Amino acid sequence: MKLSINNLSKTYRNGVKALDKVNLEIGTGMFGLLGPNGAGKSSLMRTIATIQSPDDGEIFFNDINVLEDNISLRKILGYLPQTFGVYPKMTADSLLNYFAMLKGVSRKKERKELIDKLLEITNLEDSRWKNVSGFSGGMKQRFGIAQLLINNPKLIIVDEPTAGLDPAERQRFLNVLREIGSNSTIIFSTHIVEDVKELCNNMAIMNTGRILKQIKPLDSTKELKGKIWTKIVDKDQIHEFNKNLNILSTSFNPDNSINIRIYSESKTNKGFKKVDPSLEDVYFITLKENS
Amino acid sequence: MFYNIFSNELSYWFKRPAFYVYAIIFFAIGLFSSGASAGLFDSFSMTVGSSRVVNSPYAIAMLFGGLSSLIIFLYPSIIGVGIYRDYKSEAHFILYSYPFTKLQYIFAKLLSGVFMVNLIVLIIALGIGLGFILPGTNPDLIKSFELRPYFDVYIIYILPNLIFTGLLVFGVVTFTRNISAGFIFVLILLILQGFLVGFSEEAENRLFSALIDPFGDLALQYYTQYWTISEQNELYIPIKGIFIYNRLIWLGLSALLFAAIYRSFSFSQNPISFSFKKKAINKIKTHNFLGIININLPKVNLDFKLFTQLKLLNKLSNIDFLYIIKSLPFVCIVLFGLLINVLTLFEVGDILGTPTLPRTWRMLEAGETLTLSINICTFLYAGMLIHRSRIFKSNELIDTTPVKNWILFGSKFLAIIKMQILLLSLVLISGLIFQISQGFYDFELSLYIYELLFLSLIYFVIWAFLSFLVQTLIPNPYLGLFIMIVLLIVIPLTSLAGVEQSIYKYSQGPGYSYSDMNGYGSSVERYFTYKIYWTCLGIVFYILTLLFYFRGIVSSFRERFYLAKQRFNGLNRVTISFFTILFLSIGGYIYYENNILNIRKSSKEREVATVEWEKKYKKYEDYVQPRITSVNVNLDLFPEKRDFKASGSYLMVNKSDEAIDSLFLDHSSRISTFKFDKPNDLVSEDTVYHFDIYQFKYPILPGDTIQLTFTVKNKNNTLLRNNSPVLYNGTFINNSVFPSIGYPGGELRDDKTREKYGLLPNNLKPFPSDSTALGNTYISRDADWIDFEAIVSTSKDQIAISPGYLQREWVKEDRRYFHYKMDSKILNFYAFNSAKYLVKKDKWKNVDLEIYYHEGHDYNLDRMMKGMKSALEYCSTQFSPYQHRQLRIVEFPKILGSFAQSFPNTVPFSEGVGFIADVDDSSQGGNDYPFYITAHEVAHQWFAHQVIGADVLGATVMSESLSEYVGLKIIESVNGKHKMRKFLKKALDNYLTSRTFETKRENALMYNDGQGYIHYQKGSLVFYALSDYLGERKLNKTISKYVNSVAFQEPPYTTTLELISYLKEDTPDSLQYVLNDMFETITLYDNKAVSATSSKLENGKYKVDFEFNVSKYRNDEKGKINFGDRKIDSISFKGSDMEKPSYSVYLEDYIDIGVFGIEQEEELELYLKKHKISAINNTVSIIVDKEPIEVGIDPYNKLIDTDSGDNRKKIKEINY
Repeated sequence: MKLSINNLSKTYRNGVKALDKVNLEIGTGMFGLLGPNGAGKSSLMRTIATIQSPDDGEIFFNDINVLEDNISLRKILGYLPQTFGVYPKMTADSLLNYFAMLKGVSRKKERKELIDKLLEITNLEDSRWKNVSGFSGGMKQRFGIAQLLINNPKLIIVDEPTAGLDPAERQRFLNVLREIGSNSTIIFSTHIVEDVKELCNNMAIMNTGRILKQIKPLDSTKELKGKIWTKIVDKDQIHEFNKNLNILSTSFNPDNSINIRIYSESKTNKGFKKVDPSLEDVYFITLKENS
Repeated sequence: MFYNIFSNELSYWFKRPAFYVYAIIFFAIGLFSSGASAGLFDSFSMTVGSSRVVNSPYAIAMLFGGLSSLIIFLYPSIIGVGIYRDYKSEAHFILYSYPFTKLQYIFAKLLSGVFMVNLIVLIIALGIGLGFILPGTNPDLIKSFELRPYFDVYIIYILPNLIFTGLLVFGVVTFTRNISAGFIFVLILLILQGFLVGFSEEAENRLFSALIDPFGDLALQYYTQYWTISEQNELYIPIKGIFIYNRLIWLGLSALLFAAIYRSFSFSQNPISFSFKKKAINKIKTHNFLGIININLPKVNLDFKLFTQLKLLNKLSNIDFLYIIKSLPFVCIVLFGLLINVLTLFEVGDILGTPTLPRTWRMLEAGETLTLSINICTFLYAGMLIHRSRIFKSNELIDTTPVKNWILFGSKFLAIIKMQILLLSLVLISGLIFQISQGFYDFELSLYIYELLFLSLIYFVIWAFLSFLVQTLIPNPYLGLFIMIVLLIVIPLTSLAGVEQSIYKYSQGPGYSYSDMNGYGSSVERYFTYKIYWTCLGIVFYILTLLFYFRGIVSSFRERFYLAKQRFNGLNRVTISFFTILFLSIGGYIYYENNILNIRKSSKEREVATVEWEKKYKKYEDYVQPRITSVNVNLDLFPEKRDFKASGSYLMVNKSDEAIDSLFLDHSSRISTFKFDKPNDLVSEDTVYHFDIYQFKYPILPGDTIQLTFTVKNKNNTLLRNNSPVLYNGTFINNSVFPSIGYPGGELRDDKTREKYGLLPNNLKPFPSDSTALGNTYISRDADWIDFEAIVSTSKDQIAISPGYLQREWVKEDRRYFHYKMDSKILNFYAFNSAKYLVKKDKWKNVDLEIYYHEGHDYNLDRMMKGMKSALEYCSTQFSPYQHRQLRIVEFPKILGSFAQSFPNTVPFSEGVGFIADVDDSSQGGNDYPFYITAHEVAHQWFAHQVIGADVLGATVMSESLSEYVGLKIIESVNGKHKMRKFLKKALDNYLTSRTFETKRENALMYNDGQGYIHYQKGSLVFYALSDYLGERKLNKTISKYVNSVAFQEPPYTTTLELISYLKEDTPDSLQYVLNDMFETITLYDNKAVSATSSKLENGKYKVDFEFNVSKYRNDEKGKINFGDRKIDSISFKGSDMEKPSYSVYLEDYIDIGVFGIEQEEELELYLKKHKISAINNTVSIIVDKEPIEVGIDPYNKLIDTDSGDNRKKIKEINY
């Protein structure tokens, strides 16, 4: 299974370049799309999910030409947008029925069995006859997963699924994603590095409509080995450091001193301590290099 | 802070394209309306001509006020959304923590909305003002610009309405956070008003309706309802009394409403839900995914075969359908539609207070009130279904499913059709329930289903096509709804701008009409031809909608266009091409048939033709012609094919004393031949006007006869055109299908239009004093009295009828023949009827009475028989003997009209009036109009067929007014005097209302131009009052003297002058003024009971003290008031509390004063006497025997009084 994206471009009417010659090759398993807000992640995902047309470029999933034959892709597509609403006054059961019909499950009996199972997986059995519009954020997200699974999708696209979930919810959600991703292609976008680190065998960093880097999370830190340093500094000094050093991140300590983390080929300053590089460092460095 | 929010709101609106769309649409509507009324389109449409000033204050109030009410539909989305928008964008979380007060916030939001609406109102005013002065408007119709009329109507009418409705909508939308809830309240207000308008049809309800009408229309109407043209042209709208109270009531309510909104609004607002069931709003929270799970989904088949897809389409449509019928706007629109429907069921067919039986066609007719509801639901829900997934943000989920666009759109379209079918079936259900509730069990289920599911449904489907296209192209469903409503209103109005052919106007075309006798006749084929034509375009729209169908995220219209181009392939391309070609072909066929095969004249061309006709032929008007003395016709009717074929001959005599060298033959465009028995040349043949001139070789000398033989038959009927008046069942045609002799008139009436074409002003007809103009009766200009004989044939199962007595009846070659011959002289005025009749027979003295009726229409035959007998009895004893040995009533289908018409010994009588009346004989019941109309028509055998006026002004007094008088007298003899008051009040209201619509002039009764409201309503009131003044017997004796001297006279014919001279002779001096008031002038009273008290006397009797005002005034032909020709003819009165004196024509009048008590819940007349009144303000004391309750001046409304409601007063009892 392979999703290949060639030279995908899209410019909005207000001049914003949402996609700028995007090229990607994605195989089976979890693929993380990491980038800050407004990087073009959603545009890319929507384009792959066939609901937004690019100005230029091609997308192939196996031998399906996605832009030409979107119906064929949709048959094997599972999509969970960043935010979604549902029709009011419709229960989880009736909505899942509705989506099952739309996705081609034409036999009533099969739909029922399928929905039983989906509700079991997403642990929504108790809320089967409740209106989805009254669900909490986490429940709605689970409902989203339930609808996504209906057609046993081969290509799954989830756009910022963990935003707005509490840590426990997030963890469980990612587990489920991982489970369903074992024999299909899952693309999920996030701006949280943690999400990617734990789950993905492949990932890309995206900003300003471009793919900045396509990497394997496990390998990517190797290059940085020995080049990441930290130091605790005073608040007043920070300005100085900023001028001379490539600061990746800063964080306060309880005593108002600051931890700074820098990228440097060699030890450049006194008091810096060598640390193990993290995926976050890769992310920040990539963003910095391309800004 | 107020200013910041306010200006922020305004700049929001000024950035919205919607605002400019509204502004442009309303500016255009204003411009177009006023321009059209001022004759802007005169050059390519019919001339707008009239004696009305189109920018009079009154006209501006109607136009400006009316158009401003249209924007009420915008309130929810302009005023309503002010606060709602902050919720929607969830800005309220932040905003409400800002430092401003509730009052500032509400005020700013409200006022900014109101400001924007006012801006649109201003734009309307601008459009209207400019429309009047556009180049091309007719300056004769316009007076110079004045600001005050606009200002008046704005301040007193538009602004208060805007404030109240705006507040209401603002409150509703703010608290429910639902625009459609605001929309519903707008509808509720409109429907409330619609209900009040219906309620105020009855004069006694008008004061109440005027006070509580939320828009004040009825309050304005309360004062202007009887305004004559001159008053409409000149007066400012009355800002006084009831009108002000009404405004104060609603402004007061507005203040309360604002207070309520202010009080209940808080910055931590939860929406109010309008749900029918109480639902628990507890957030549901369950445990999350369980740890690590195995996902083993059951294997399912994904099936995308065509059949399954179609099944899916249907299932999806059910989901959308359920959504529609469960949604609140739908429920409200439909409930109110049904409410109106049910109210209409009780109203439809009400004639003189008597309903008609609830026949199925009547139920269907009442069901048409749902048309607007169905259309609005279609417009609105087409938009909601198209935009719903985006509104609820589920579009990304739905749009990525593998379902094809045509399934998604198809299911929405099907859902709307299902909704339409549901709504149409409500007509059936409410109709059946109503029929059952009325104890009427002649159900015609197949008729219901045929009309609703075939004839009506296709109309709504055609609108659904356009709605979906518009709603798909327009991103906002409420804007789409608004545009659709504008289209619905404007498309038919384009005729005013000269777009007259239906093929250019979406969804337009000929309608259908049903009657019990003739079914839908041939109207259905025509109807469907046009409907199929529009359906073809509709299908093209359907595909276009599919091409532009919203799917996914599309950022610009260019992108949508690009997508549409991509989707335009294969089946779409074939379908669009096929239906475009079909559409154009059908359109081409219709065009060919109407414009090439037949000459179609636009109303403009017809107007020009009328002018040309007059210029060309009017000069022959006074050319002496021979007179028809005998008519003999053979008429063959072919009902199955709706054809006729006739031949006949006229025997004519030169009754003049000069030789006649030429004859002018006026005939129809039908296939005809003409032959004279004297040698002649056809010197002029006019194939446009069908007016030919024959010159005789040897002039026809005085006393000589000449015979014309002719044949005439219709051109073949086609799918689109009826070239014959013959119907499948129920033919009713008169002698106008045969040729006539001489210039027949038919000129433009409006003097201003005539002036434009260089024609002299038209006096319509000569004055009765013109002794040279009395040569013709007003019925016929080419004959006096004739002999008549006819052989009429028809299909075997029908009976054919014409005037005369049946000589022989036979069947030949499967056709039935009837030979009729009249044995006495009749007017040249006859008709033919043919249908499958049943016959009811009876006898009055030696006169055979027959009613030819449609099977099943036997409800009122006895009443009609009784009517014939009573009228024959009354007229023959009071006036003169009946001239025939037979009298027949013949039913004809209501599609030809709802009237009856008297021909010699034959009265064709529409099935719509009388045959299916549901008469209630109890004292609460309305009038027995089958009886009454029969009596009126029978009276015509005297007043028209014995006494016939010359063709001059006022001629109809001798036919219509006198027949109406006889009808009244006969019904009075059956019902008693008390029931008459209702009848007279109705006649009075009709007269006073109808005269306000007069376009040319209103003459005094004896000089009337033939307007129905004068010769029927005023005529009946006048003769009824006269019989009261003179006594019925005395008046009848006078009429009888007159009848006997003029009946069956040869020319010169009688006129109103002669009738009045008989009346004058028999009227005492003291009452001569009555004749002057009633016949010679337009005189109106304004009588009013001022105060009334009573006290019990020692002898047990009661003394009533009554103060009342009497005044009368005159109107000229335009309705301008005067109080007598000279100053000394008028009197005046100034009471102590009056600012200005009131005036009256000099009084020396005898007017009823009545005192009434009550006995067994019925009104008891204690005293009724005519008092001589010679002052405006009067007091009388009257002693009565029993306890008085009410007193009145002219209490029975016998006089023509502009305010008949204030003549009576309840008596206050005073105890000493």
